[in-house]
Amino acid sequence: MSNSLKIENLHASVEDTEILKGLSLEIPKGEVHAIMGPNGSGKSTLSKVIAGHEDYAVSGGTVHMDGEDLLALEIDERSRAGFFLAFQYPHEIPGVSNANFLRAARQARLPKGEEIDAVAFYKEMYAKMDELGMDRKFTARSVNDGFSGGEKKRNEILQMMMLDPKYAILDETDSGLDIDALKIVAQGVNSMRSPERGFLVITHYQRLLDYIVPDVVHVMHDGKIVKTGGKDLALELEEKGYDWVTEELAVA
Amino acid sequence: MPDSATLEAVNIDQDEGAFSYPEDYKHDAGTGLNEGTLDYISDIKKEADWLREFRKKALKVFNDKPMPTHWASDDLENIIFQNIRYYLAKGGAPTRNWDEVPDDVKETFERLGIPEKERKFLAGVEAQFDSEAAYSNVKEALSKEGVIFVNSTEGLREHPELFRKWFGKVIPTGDNKFSALNSAVFSGGSFIYVPPGVKVKHPLQAYFRINAENFGQFERTLIIVDEGAEVTYMEGCTAPKFETATLHSAVVELVAMKDAKIQYITVQNWSNNVFNLVTKRGLAHENAEIRWIDCNIGSRLTMKYPGVIMKGRKARGEVISIALANDGQHQDTGAKMIHAADETTSNVVAKSISVGTGVSTYRGQVHIPKHLKGCKNNTECDALLINSTSKTDTYPAITVKGNEHSTQHEASVSQVSEDQIFYMKQRGLSEGEAMSLSVNGFVNDLVREFPMEYSVELKRLIDMEMEDSVG
Amino acid sequence: MSLTLTPPDKMADKQSTDQWFASAPLTESSVDLPDWYQQIQASSWEQFCENGGPTRLDQNWRFADLKKVRLSGLLPAPEVDSASSVERALRNRLEAFAAHFVFVNNRLVHSETGSLPEGVICLPINEALAKHSDLVQSYFLKEEGCLGGSKFRQIHAAASLSGVFVHVPRGVICEDPILVNHFVGGDSSTIFPHTLIVADDNTSVSVMDTFQSIQENEETYAIGNVDLHANNGANLQYVAFEDASDTGAKHVQLNSSKAGRDSSIKSAFVNLGAAWVRNESINHMADSGADCQIYSANLANGIQEYDQRTLQVHEAQHTTSDLLFKNALYDNARTIFSGLIQVLPGSHHTDSYQTCRNLLGSKAAEANAMPGLEIDADQVKCSHGSTSGQISDEEIFYLQARGITAEDARRIISLGFLNETVSRLDCDNLKEFLFSRIERKFASLA
Repeated sequence: MSNSLKIENLHASVEDTEILKGLSLEIPKGEVHAIMGPNGSGKSTLSKVIAGHEDYAVSGGTVHMDGEDLLALEIDERSRAGFFLAFQYPHEIPGVSNANFLRAARQARLPKGEEIDAVAFYKEMYAKMDELGMDRKFTARSVNDGFSGGEKKRNEILQMMMLDPKYAILDETDSGLDIDALKIVAQGVNSMRSPERGFLVITHYQRLLDYIVPDVVHVMHDGKIVKTGGKDLALELEEKGYDWVTEELAVA
Repeated sequence: MPDSATLEAVNIDQDEGAFSYPEDYKHDAGTGLNEGTLDYISDIKKEADWLREFRKKALKVFNDKPMPTHWASDDLENIIFQNIRYYLAKGGAPTRNWDEVPDDVKETFERLGIPEKERKFLAGVEAQFDSEAAYSNVKEALSKEGVIFVNSTEGLREHPELFRKWFGKVIPTGDNKFSALNSAVFSGGSFIYVPPGVKVKHPLQAYFRINAENFGQFERTLIIVDEGAEVTYMEGCTAPKFETATLHSAVVELVAMKDAKIQYITVQNWSNNVFNLVTKRGLAHENAEIRWIDCNIGSRLTMKYPGVIMKGRKARGEVISIALANDGQHQDTGAKMIHAADETTSNVVAKSISVGTGVSTYRGQVHIPKHLKGCKNNTECDALLINSTSKTDTYPAITVKGNEHSTQHEASVSQVSEDQIFYMKQRGLSEGEAMSLSVNGFVNDLVREFPMEYSVELKRLIDMEMEDSVG
Repeated sequence: MSLTLTPPDKMADKQSTDQWFASAPLTESSVDLPDWYQQIQASSWEQFCENGGPTRLDQNWRFADLKKVRLSGLLPAPEVDSASSVERALRNRLEAFAAHFVFVNNRLVHSETGSLPEGVICLPINEALAKHSDLVQSYFLKEEGCLGGSKFRQIHAAASLSGVFVHVPRGVICEDPILVNHFVGGDSSTIFPHTLIVADDNTSVSVMDTFQSIQENEETYAIGNVDLHANNGANLQYVAFEDASDTGAKHVQLNSSKAGRDSSIKSAFVNLGAAWVRNESINHMADSGADCQIYSANLANGIQEYDQRTLQVHEAQHTTSDLLFKNALYDNARTIFSGLIQVLPGSHHTDSYQTCRNLLGSKAAEANAMPGLEIDADQVKCSHGSTSGQISDEEIFYLQARGITAEDARRIISLGFLNETVSRLDCDNLKEFLFSRIERKFASLA
């Protein structure tokens, strides 16, 4: 059984427009990969397709998580199997408190009939909130409702910590964050780096990668990975811009 | 396929009221409605002449009044009044001791958890089985303070001076067709009197149960809370699912004297073939407060618009309403706020959820006449639509006269968006769980208004209703 | 061209009530009216005679004072000397207009059409019926829905009409508004203003009707009908400005709008005059991208009663509508607003709003509001709101602190309150006209 999140020749479209055009990528456990690319290259589509969003139709290719066919699973089954997506635009859920939401998500992972240990749950949640510098009052607030951009992103990281996934995709987690919030978010992610977990960080800017240092950097363009390299590739991209990659492609 | 015992257990869990016992009645007024039916009821109850006369007059009003289908649901036409049984009773006075309650009736209420609730947190209980109360008890300490909590038949007999003073005064017979019907054939319901200054800490509870097919339940409740006194009253109701439709048509009158407070809580969970056509209104004297907390989950068609007449200066009226309309159900609910004195304030918060082919309707009336000053009304109604086949209507009517008042009405309709569900599913919740959580979130602020024990039950009922709503 | 009414002899045997015409007010016109139209007139008269009129149980007449509805002894408006009315119309018109028509007692007495863009048809309705029969027929009185005024629509359809037909051909932009003035005078005299506007694909047009009395203290009637059709991508604006005698005039106007794909219709009622007004407005968002905006500014005093009923029907996906009605009430004035938003099955992704705000300026003024929603679709954003109140002491205080008298402060705030609706309209010239008229009435209240 392979120990990776493996995407092979993935094709996906939305309303008959093909966005992913044969994308392949493998994230072994223990590694942090980054995907960079210009707007419209299909980065966010990739994350939603892997999560199973119904607006996207997969027309070819496979996604395997530790050998399990992810595309055959429902959205929530993928989550419970260990896949986590930190959303670029986390949705608001009016009236549902953060604590209740997380508790329900944790409960969903327990075998039927087994009740969550509420005391242990709160203890764990408070510890993780402290790590992310989140106020206790936060637990009673409705999920993402009226949150600032930074609060939403921190909340995504808290959820990731609490749900302890095997693989996580962070979709533009840096967008809308000031530098202090960015550091805290990165710290949270770094604390979760482990040989038992793989990360895919999607970002437009190199900035985030100063704090979450990737093992591998991929460049995405027009629905495919067009270049792969080490962490220095991100710096090169920042310096030369995306045109550099696309021009190189045109030459080749 | 699970075994039958499991199925039964699951059924009870899914719909706790879905069982019935064989019929065994000593008194049965038969099917259909005429003056003879009224005489039969009066004879059994040994009623005074004025009451016999009252019933007969009401029957005339009922017969003369048209069905309100010019504004209400056409489904009302499907009520066949001549096919209904208007009075069914096992005979015998209600007992104060559960051990003396007939076995099948006792078992019914035990399955519904009533005796247990009484022990835990109630100050008094009345349990009505079809037309008459089977059990009625109030904690001794309250009796000593002069609190009366009996069924309406006993109330009329034992406390006529109190009863007659207010009976039919808050809701006159001719208020609407169904209040007239109730006035003609009423039986059961509670009579409560709380003497001046007595604050009843724990809730009094009534439990209404329909057991027999084609039976119409017409309880009549009158609650009088004297100066500076306070009470919380709760009612719950269930019925088994029969092949044919059943009618429940109650009249509830509340009287809050100066500085008194009444909180009236209903969790209505009739089975899906009960027509639930109820008139509820309270009269609030000076600085008194009447709150209706009304939750409708069951029934085929509910039409209920709890009202408050604010008769004394600084009186307050409030309606908190939650309605959940599932497949084949129509929850037509709302509120009526009649300002009749200076500086009176009213507040209405209504939330409805329509699931599947369910229809929820809000109807509201706010009336502020011109000779008054300093009146305020605030109304908010929010509707949540779950499926593309669900429907919601909102029909408020607000009349304000004069320049010394303020009213505000806001209504909105929203959905649980696809993206919201996607987000929750990505965190590992099934679609049903995600939907339940969203719906509970929608009504959360109102559920908090219910006493703890009820809010837990309410949440569980909503979870059950939502489980099958998706897919 | 002048139109006259037949004396009431035709169909005189038809059973009718003495509260209405004793017989059909049919036309004897100098132009030949098409057969199809005459058939509509005849059948409408029959329907009118059979229609018992609104009753107390009719939800569309809830809160209405039915005593005011029971119009008695209507008479077709007689021919009168129109010179002074025309003079008033010319003195008080918009600074710029594409065309100007004046009707006095249902007869055209003045018209200027020199500034109309080429290709635009803008004719008195009877002339249009004669000259463009087929075109008019495909849009004429097509509204099937009703908000209670069926009896009014029937008498209107049976009667001799005044008013204009406007057709803007594909792609034509009509910059300046078309202005139509209606005057009515004589006891029991009744006019039937009819406005039919068809804006074809990608056009823009704005029309304002005004309604006035020839003199005060006469019990006159106007029973009008307005149909607005905006085809693909069209922009249509219509304003009804009513400033008739508040001591006698009764004014009924039935509006209907049909907005096609990606089109926009703005319609507005501004009521300052008349003793009793009944406005009905049915708005169809018929195709995706359609948008209707419905506005009203009403300033009522004395014993004026304004009764307005509206419907916003979303019939297609991705449609929008917005309604804002504002009433400022003084003395014993009374207003009724009843609005309904309907989102029909399948009309997903609609945004629809409805707001009625009442500013009560006296102890005896009365405002009734019935904002309604009927939602039968998915992914809908819909809300309505209604408020009634008065100017707060803090607001007055704030203005006083800036040196304004309390009385002026009250007027400024009330004026701003009503003007908010007018300011949402297009065409500065037209807005200025409305602002000044509203201000003038406020000044007269003091």
